[in-house]
Amino acid sequence: MDIQQLIREDEVHRDVYVSEDVFALEMDRIFGTAWIYVGHDSQIPDPGDYWTTRIGLESVVMARGKRDEINVFYNRCPHKGARIAADGCGHTKGLFRCPYHAWTFNLDGTLKGVPYLDGYENTRFDMADPRFSLKKVARVASYRGFVFASLSETAADFESFIAGIKSSLDNFCDRAPNGTVSVAGGVFRVVQRSNWKIFFENLNDTGHPIATHESSYRAARQYADEELGGELPFELHIIDGNGAPPKFWSDLDLHAFDFGHSYMTAIFNAPDDPLSQAYFASLSAKVGEDRAKEILGVNRHNTIIYPSCSPHTSFQQWRVIRPLSVDRTLVEIFTFRLDGAPEELLQRTFTYSNVVNSPSSIVMTDDVHVYAECQKGLATQGGDWVSQHRNAGQDLPFSGADGGEIGVGTSELPIRNQFRAWREYMTSDVAETIPLQSSEP
Amino acid sequence: MRAAHTPLTRASEVPYETLCQFLYQEARLLDQRKFGQWNDLFAEGGMYWIPLEEDQEDPLNHLSLAYEDSMMRQVRINRLNHDRAWSQKPRSRTSHTVSAIVVEAVCEVSNQLIVGSAFTMAEWRSFGLRTFAGLYTHTLRVTDGRLQIVEKRVDLIDSSEAFEPIEVFI
Ligand code: FES
Ligand SMILES: [Fe+2]
Repeated sequence: MDIQQLIREDEVHRDVYVSEDVFALEMDRIFGTAWIYVGHDSQIPDPGDYWTTRIGLESVVMARGKRDEINVFYNRCPHKGARIAADGCGHTKGLFRCPYHAWTFNLDGTLKGVPYLDGYENTRFDMADPRFSLKKVARVASYRGFVFASLSETAADFESFIAGIKSSLDNFCDRAPNGTVSVAGGVFRVVQRSNWKIFFENLNDTGHPIATHESSYRAARQYADEELGGELPFELHIIDGNGAPPKFWSDLDLHAFDFGHSYMTAIFNAPDDPLSQAYFASLSAKVGEDRAKEILGVNRHNTIIYPSCSPHTSFQQWRVIRPLSVDRTLVEIFTFRLDGAPEELLQRTFTYSNVVNSPSSIVMTDDVHVYAECQKGLATQGGDWVSQHRNAGQDLPFSGADGGEIGVGTSELPIRNQFRAWREYMTSDVAETIPLQSSEP
Repeated sequence: MRAAHTPLTRASEVPYETLCQFLYQEARLLDQRKFGQWNDLFAEGGMYWIPLEEDQEDPLNHLSLAYEDSMMRQVRINRLNHDRAWSQKPRSRTSHTVSAIVVEAVCEVSNQLIVGSAFTMAEWRSFGLRTFAGLYTHTLRVTDGRLQIVEKRVDLIDSSEAFEPIEVFI
């Protein structure tokens, strides 16, 4: 069986979630070629600042160079292989120094100094040979401060990759009076016992909230009914949203684009309170009232930038998805300040994130649980195929500005769309035959 | 909860043993899933806080693993008691150990004490046994003859680590 046989138009074979071989191939063909989100340039404002993260299973460093440029290189010393930077954010004065034998590197990764240099005379070692410098990733590109990298010289260019979903990045930043955003407040990190694709599928899956999140929205409503005469303050309003009736969900729009990207229209409207009014005033003062209304009129829930991240444009959240193994996924959640907006708005962003994205969220815990249940169920012999039939064949080309395809809010369009991209990535190379862990009789 | 037989009046006069008993009782209520009674230990406006960073000073201008007032605590409790809390099947079971209890400060004016302690909490979940460890900092107030929690701060030693979901109170 080959990769093509794992995917049908409206269902996929369970091996895409449980096979170690498929996972290894994904690291190679998807994470080894696609544009992967690395970080935001506000995390490394000054030369010498760096941010250590991953592309697929590769440890990489994003560093601000002397000329203010952004470099991304593999976190591997060319001497004996030690990682030259610890995980997370850091700052170095002018150069990186390997902790093992103290080889030093410029901020762009080029080799600067080697102890006992005379010992290398008359050897094949050469300071100028790039293989004795930190290895740069093949390509780096950024859009409005969001930095992506590709480990392949030849895969699709960044412009075509990002084209469909650019409007979400624009709206993310346009909401800031200054037109820029910056990372603030730390990073939440959550481990899931499930395949990375299960999380992506869930992001625009409006069929799940009513069922999965019943305990939390009922808990919120119970409190509102017992203590507040039915009124829902901001935090409870957010939790309660998952309990909206079926028609609410199907009335939303889902938009899907090439490369597996998609977004859904918003499920929350911004509250109309003094803080929102102050924020609107700060935005209007910079861009004019009409433009401010237009910007805030673009109200989206999760955007998917496949296969590495998911911005929430109206609450300034940015989730980064890092596969760890076939059944382990790390999700990192960043929050952003809208530069030029009232500081209290950032506090509301934190409140939203504490409720929805913290490892102790009473909402997310049920998501993470059902993902793990899927992973367990898919490992059984109970069936080889996973359904994506909801509204299959009913999605339409979208004639609006962004193009792409549009489906009713409860369509499984985004999931089918992700697998179209998946298939392209996975078969872009030679059609290789791989051994499968399960097979049909 | 009445930890001492004689009603308390001054923060500076609360016997050490009463403070120990209070912290032990608090932990025991959590281990016995008497969440409602536990929530009643808090003073009006009292907060339950798990900072995200070591030495984090500010719960408002930074993310926190949890920063919950009585409303959010009660909503968490409502959920833990709900039939369809899927991730609570089987439900969490916990065992707290509280030790190294020290009085760090007493304020006569506000009639409050700051009490530090070390803790571990073992938790059994569907995915196995795991351990949380860290330091508690309780800000306690003497009101109506008894101790009330103004703030319970939980500093996990691995607060900035990646976690699987945390559902019960630590
Ligand atoms: S491994 Fe880096 S200097 Fe030796
Ligand atoms: Fe969900």
